[in-house]
Amino acid sequence: MSVPTNAHDTLANVHEFEVVENKCVADGIWRMRCNTALSGLLRPGQFVNVDVPNDASHILRIPLSFSKADAKNNELELVYAVVGEGTKRLSAMCVGDTSTMVGPCGNGWSLPKSDGRSLLVAGGVGLPPIMACARMLAEKGIGFDVIVGAQTASRHVEPILDELRALPMQQGCDCARTLVLTTDDGTRGMRGFVTTAMQDMLAERSYATCYSCGPNIMMRGVAELAHSQNIACQVSLERMMGCGFGACSCCNVELVGGGYALCCSDGPVFDASEVVL
Amino acid sequence: MSKVKMAVDLGGIQMRNPVNTASGTFGNGVQFEGFYDVGKTLGAITCKGVSAEPWDGNPAPRLAELRGAAIMNSVGLQNPGVHGFVKRYGEYLESVRSRGCAVICQVAGHSVEEYERAMDLFEEFAPFASGFEINISCPNIAEGGAAMGATPQSAARVMSAVRTRTKRPIVVKMAPHDVAAIGHALEESGADALALINTIPGMSIDVRTRKSRLARATAGVSGPAIHAIAVRMVWECAQAVNIPICGIGGVTTAEDAAEMILAGATAVSVGTANLTDPLSAKHIVEGLEEWVASQGATDVNDLIGAFEC
Repeated sequence: MSVPTNAHDTLANVHEFEVVENKCVADGIWRMRCNTALSGLLRPGQFVNVDVPNDASHILRIPLSFSKADAKNNELELVYAVVGEGTKRLSAMCVGDTSTMVGPCGNGWSLPKSDGRSLLVAGGVGLPPIMACARMLAEKGIGFDVIVGAQTASRHVEPILDELRALPMQQGCDCARTLVLTTDDGTRGMRGFVTTAMQDMLAERSYATCYSCGPNIMMRGVAELAHSQNIACQVSLERMMGCGFGACSCCNVELVGGGYALCCSDGPVFDASEVVL
Repeated sequence: MSKVKMAVDLGGIQMRNPVNTASGTFGNGVQFEGFYDVGKTLGAITCKGVSAEPWDGNPAPRLAELRGAAIMNSVGLQNPGVHGFVKRYGEYLESVRSRGCAVICQVAGHSVEEYERAMDLFEEFAPFASGFEINISCPNIAEGGAAMGATPQSAARVMSAVRTRTKRPIVVKMAPHDVAAIGHALEESGADALALINTIPGMSIDVRTRKSRLARATAGVSGPAIHAIAVRMVWECAQAVNIPICGIGGVTTAEDAAEMILAGATAVSVGTANLTDPLSAKHIVEGLEEWVASQGATDVNDLIGAFEC
């Protein structure tokens, strides 16, 4: 059930942005960098609701997660798949183009509640919020490993993978970070789903917290594996959205205990044990 | 600010300007406080529909975007019940009221008895309500809702029942059909004002799966695409009744709001536009005042129904 916006949160507002880069970074996947004051207000795992200009026939904004919110440089990095008319128009925005985005939207990732290593599991364009999560953990000096799955090699987003590898090693951590890639067709990394790789990881190391974003069916598998080992699991969900800030109740998420939460204002990050995946 | 008088009286609900928000598109106001000072800006806000007991609403997906500037929703009045609503939003809504903005609480039900029960609870626990909006036109619930407002007789039955439960102003949210006859019946049975139109029932089919793009087969269409239909219905209704009307339907700009006023609306609600641009209602407040001045008028009330046929 939707609750009033928390007093301690930055309330959503309309912010202007200017495109500084918008290019294809993998098959069907684009990265946009833009200048916006919103970059200084976002927490990892939150999202923005973007007004894609030049088509009055489509009236909804596009909710997008971000991989990086760089307050110092006033820069926000969005990574998105071109899947429909809206994202197609978004990919056509040029350097210097301006529009607006609504944010900060949603709750964002929570830091681990218990000590220990974290396991990050991303599938497809679930990667951007997982990248933002990795930055959050690295800054806090929390050790983590990452599994990134894609349908096929060409869908892996190399620049983000490079950044994941290059994130500074957390001080005092006793082991190096592992990055495991999977593809459904075996064209890159391990053949199969991320859950197969996750089983291997869980057999080798113990984890306290799991963070996951990707297709629902993937997150269901990830949550089940985490649950079987008593690992706290946060999932970031995606829904068709109207407003993005709890006003229209269109993006409902079914709760295990019955009833619905709203993806935009109660989520998009949920404790996996509380939602029907 | 100019010297144009913008205050209107919506059946006893005093509004500092004609701009209201359509229920279900504006949360309960607090979600918009980051965009602008709701209480200091708008004439009124209409809260989400609330029933006596909590309702879960409909399964997902509840929303589809259509080509041609429209969306469809089938939220189904998800709400925490009157007690939950007052507990969560009562304090905030009092603050909205104290800032000079009217607060209209929307009442939902599946039957006459449920409307009465919700009305009683609101009457007792919602002192912050300037008035009430009875929703007899929601197309997204199985019983009640639109069925209650389908004929002049059924609409009048609900209205007569709730009329005995409160002395505060009652607005009735009407379905997009037969608005002259139903509006007249509502006036006869004690409505202080009418609000129209609710969303227009529609369908959107995914031709690959042959299933609805929403969880339910039908859902309510809203947005700029329905504006002209809404203006026509406000005009038809205004000619049949003597109580004020709140015009709703695809109002996106101040010009759209002005059209509603010319067609006979005393107040205008901004709905789907709140999703597209959360600043819409604020911009419409500003633009409407400019429009009144541009017409050489000193009072927006002089332009209500000033459409020249």
